[in-house]
Amino acid sequence: MNENRRQILEMLAAGKITADEAERLIAALESGPATIVSEHSGSTASANGNTGAAVKTRAKYLRVLVEAPQEMTGLKGPTSVNVRVPMQLLRAGVRLASLIPVQAHQQLDEALNRHGVPLTLSQIKPENLEELIDHLEDLTVDVDTTDEGTTKVRVFCE
Amino acid sequence: MIPNFAVIGIQTPHWQTPRLWLPLFLLWIPVILLSPIIFLILVALAIACRMTIWRIIAIFWGILSGLPGTHVHVRAEGNQVLVRIL
Repeated sequence: MNENRRQILEMLAAGKITADEAERLIAALESGPATIVSEHSGSTASANGNTGAAVKTRAKYLRVLVEAPQEMTGLKGPTSVNVRVPMQLLRAGVRLASLIPVQAHQQLDEALNRHGVPLTLSQIKPENLEELIDHLEDLTVDVDTTDEGTTKVRVFCE
Repeated sequence: MIPNFAVIGIQTPHWQTPRLWLPLFLLWIPVILLSPIIFLILVALAIACRMTIWRIIAIFWGILSGLPGTHVHVRAEGNQVLVRIL
């Protein structure tokens, strides 16, 4: 039971509101989040060309789409990548990182620094990574280049 | 939900495999048979990582149950690889 619903029921129990009013408040509460979320998700929805979406559902997948012509990659023929990773798998992967022994952190930090990733693994806490995954849901990256051909990169959650 | 099937397809300019449906649920049979060994490995891992064995099991179970829905399709130089986990 969430906090708002509990407050309504407590007000009803205390006799501050009638049963009808409580029912109306609970109904408004149930329809409320959809309205709030749809307002909040306006940018995401319009980015996906789906402005009519009334209710935002929780993103289940992270999608990465890449389309590159022959001229860009130097490979024969066009190159395309279409990856869909469940968010649940990302979360589980983040938890897997906690299995890395403390002794290995320094070696990993050094290796990452050598490859141009200035990251200190010991400073990354699982709860921070969880937060990062949660915020990925609002992420949309669109890259179009038109130098010699059209390369498209799209990263988004659905 | 744990993965039940994996669909794998490979295509090159010269040959291609039909889409292979691999029944992953059949892997439960060797997993059950090897469960004592797997348990010992998990205990060793738990001691090495200074974590409880239940946490280790929860992490691996999370990965296993997060796999369904994974889709990877890569095409380059006329070659294609498709991996789907259902």
